[in-house]
Amino acid sequence: MLAHLAVAFLLLQSPQHRTIAIDERLAQDAGIAIGDRLTVSARPGAPDGDTVIVSAILKRSADPAEIARSEYQVRMHLDHLQSVASYGDRVDRFAVATRGDSAIESALRDINAAAFGFEAHRSRDIAVGTSRTFQVVSRFHKAIGVITIVASAIFLLCIMLLKVEERRRDVAALRLMGISATTVVKGVVAEAALLALVGSVLGVGVGWFASQLINWYYQGLYRSPLYFSLITAEIVTFAVGLSLVLGIVAGFLASLRLVRTPPLTLFGR
Amino acid sequence: MVVQLAWASLRRHATRTLLAILGVAVAAAMLLDMVMMSTGLRESFRELLMSRGFQLRIAPRGTLPFDTDATITGVSGIVATLRMNPDIVTISPVLGSTIHVPIGDRTFTSATLGADPAIQGDYELLSGRDPIARDEIAVNDDFIRATGVRIGDSMRVATGYDPQLRTYSDSRTMVITGRVRFLYGAANQLATAMNLPTVQEMARLPDNASLFMIKVRDDVDVEEARAWIEAEVPRVSALSIATALEQVDQRLSYFRQLAFILGTVSLFVGFLLVTTLITVSVNERVGEITVMRALGVSKLHIVQQIVLEGVVITLSGAIAGLGLGLVTARYLNSILASFPGLPVAIDFFLFQPKAAWMSLGLLSLSGIAAGIYPAFRAASLPIATTLREEAIA
Amino acid sequence: MTLVEARDLARDYRFGADDVHALRGVTFDIEEGDYVAIVGPSGCGKSTLLNLLGAIDRPTRGSVTIRGQAVGEMRDREATLFRLRNIGFVFQRFYLMPTLTARENVELPMAEAGLKSAERAARARELLAYVGLSHRERHRPTELSGGEQQRVAIARSLANRPAILLADEPTGELDAKTGAEIIELFGQLNRDGTTIIVVTHDEELAGAARRKIHMRDGRIVDE
Repeated sequence: MLAHLAVAFLLLQSPQHRTIAIDERLAQDAGIAIGDRLTVSARPGAPDGDTVIVSAILKRSADPAEIARSEYQVRMHLDHLQSVASYGDRVDRFAVATRGDSAIESALRDINAAAFGFEAHRSRDIAVGTSRTFQVVSRFHKAIGVITIVASAIFLLCIMLLKVEERRRDVAALRLMGISATTVVKGVVAEAALLALVGSVLGVGVGWFASQLINWYYQGLYRSPLYFSLITAEIVTFAVGLSLVLGIVAGFLASLRLVRTPPLTLFGR
Repeated sequence: MVVQLAWASLRRHATRTLLAILGVAVAAAMLLDMVMMSTGLRESFRELLMSRGFQLRIAPRGTLPFDTDATITGVSGIVATLRMNPDIVTISPVLGSTIHVPIGDRTFTSATLGADPAIQGDYELLSGRDPIARDEIAVNDDFIRATGVRIGDSMRVATGYDPQLRTYSDSRTMVITGRVRFLYGAANQLATAMNLPTVQEMARLPDNASLFMIKVRDDVDVEEARAWIEAEVPRVSALSIATALEQVDQRLSYFRQLAFILGTVSLFVGFLLVTTLITVSVNERVGEITVMRALGVSKLHIVQQIVLEGVVITLSGAIAGLGLGLVTARYLNSILASFPGLPVAIDFFLFQPKAAWMSLGLLSLSGIAAGIYPAFRAASLPIATTLREEAIA
Repeated sequence: MTLVEARDLARDYRFGADDVHALRGVTFDIEEGDYVAIVGPSGCGKSTLLNLLGAIDRPTRGSVTIRGQAVGEMRDREATLFRLRNIGFVFQRFYLMPTLTARENVELPMAEAGLKSAERAARARELLAYVGLSHRERHRPTELSGGEQQRVAIARSLANRPAILLADEPTGELDAKTGAEIIELFGQLNRDGTTIIVVTHDEELAGAARRKIHMRDGRIVDE
């Protein structure tokens, strides 16, 4: 409130100065506050820029395209920017809002028919086109994920093999007592499934915690409100489901090896 | 005998041993990839920047080369100022712009670089000759593939497109003199090269440049030269390779961090696998180990044998992982190489022997560490009690 | 010459809250060239006594001296080296290394003692010939019968020319016929100069020895 009053007072004092809004990152880095006077120019180092007053400091949006770019953002009145940049009566684009989704198609059609030398696009299509960087990162993450899954599967199989071999004498005794191979396999698979389930739950917990850590760290590093890591119900379901399947398959394969060996051989005779 | 016993023990459970080696191989591959990734981008970029010997770049103040559309005015004045410094050997101003090439019923949009062919450091001539005259142009393979042109062809080249009037501010016929490869070109990017005055004229930016490439004498301190340039020409930013690398590090710090985390996890997983295997193996052989102790085999030799088993698994896995790692690195690199705007010459995963040795070293240490505790524990069991328990079991 | 001197040997164990006195003060001497059988009911302490004589366990009280060296006071490293050079063990369950051949099993103590490969191999063959298993030197324990495994174990125990051979129920896992063969082998060994102490339930084996020590409840009751 007070800041706005200060700006209003300054404007009354110097009505020829236009106002601009700057983003919080610029304000922080350059130590600029509301009411400060700045010079803006389209050419770096130009001595003859426009003097303006900072009237607002903006929060940055959660725009992935801004990550890793150290650009600052300044908002100016359109005519002021056109004048500073010597753009004349030109803009780069128009943003158009329609009355509801149903009007989008007709608006697109009408604009493209009428606009000479321009093309209208759905915002969604532009987003897809400009998000190639994140598609690359996403593919990379998926590839790492696949490698991790393969490694985990091998690891799981190895561990299950070790676990069942540790108990081969117990299994041999059970088989000699008349317990069927099917029962032994079911027992081992049940144990593997339980291990996989417990491991998955722990893993989800660790993953959630790591996700919080990642967001906290990168939001601070890039000074962005963007969520870098998001755990959704689908992801949890997929992870738990996959590890269950891998665990069960590993247990099944390991137990199969065990029950195919004659009991006396398991005893070491 | 230590070696013989270790080998015999590994062969005894061949499936288990092979699986463990496979598991270590995957962990080793991931570790190698992460070590390669942590330094690859930086090294690759540094090699690229140094490839033509230009140690400094000058860009509009506060920007990185070609980061924005901003240009530097007063090129001739700046060149004259820079020539005053005897340490500066070569000055190559470069102007980037966009051209439109109508061929048939299609118009191809291409990036273009204007530079002095005699001293430029942006492209490499593959065939033909440099574009020297004002009506000459060299093109890259992506341009040739898209347009179907050949060296010697003439084509219409235009700039300054007005979409409303559908006209160009400048249009002229140019002859293709050569085929070039742009060192900093991105994949599938149409690009051409002309001499600097031509581009300045066509883009209506007389005496402008997007950047300057600067070569200083080999015995000169590059940072001192950089500081001199910024002092003499305050409206530009001078970037040494070191500062450029710092910027890259900052922007792509995520990959270094990811590399560190995944590398550590891979190492840990490999260690865990080997230590689990060794522990189970040792627990199965407690009787044998205790009998060896009873026979007079020293603790040290028993520990050596067991540790050796861990090392064999780890090293075998590491060697297999080296091959696997190079394959997966190529695959992962091909994914990351499709980053929009990334120079084709940049590799995220750069194989350096140092990286391979580091991975091998880390894995060997983990293999040794994996076996030490279970081995020592088993070798320290009280002989008489253990033999009695084994007899009962 | 007195080879082994045991003086007031005692060994106590703790099992949970209870103390078990496995040996309660045992005193005896063994001369070089003796063939002694220690007999007694299960749990009388005979195996415990053997473990103390073999330096694989330490007494709670008392002393045991072999060739003038107090083995009961030795640290682990010293005891290990002493066993390697002076004691030969034969166990009830053979305890051969399943991954090694018969010859390699016999070579094992010699390898630990630092003998060269050719030397080890020659001596191993000599010992296997002595126990009648020259033709089985390349077989692994799983390919040998119980009796053959025990013969290999005996050959192994003689690898470093020990001062004394200790055998704990060497015929326990063998049938009568095979057991008799082992008993005969022990007799031969003793005639050839090896000092032998066996712990056994086997009347035949005890009968083959030249001296018997009877034990009950951790004490010697008769000699």
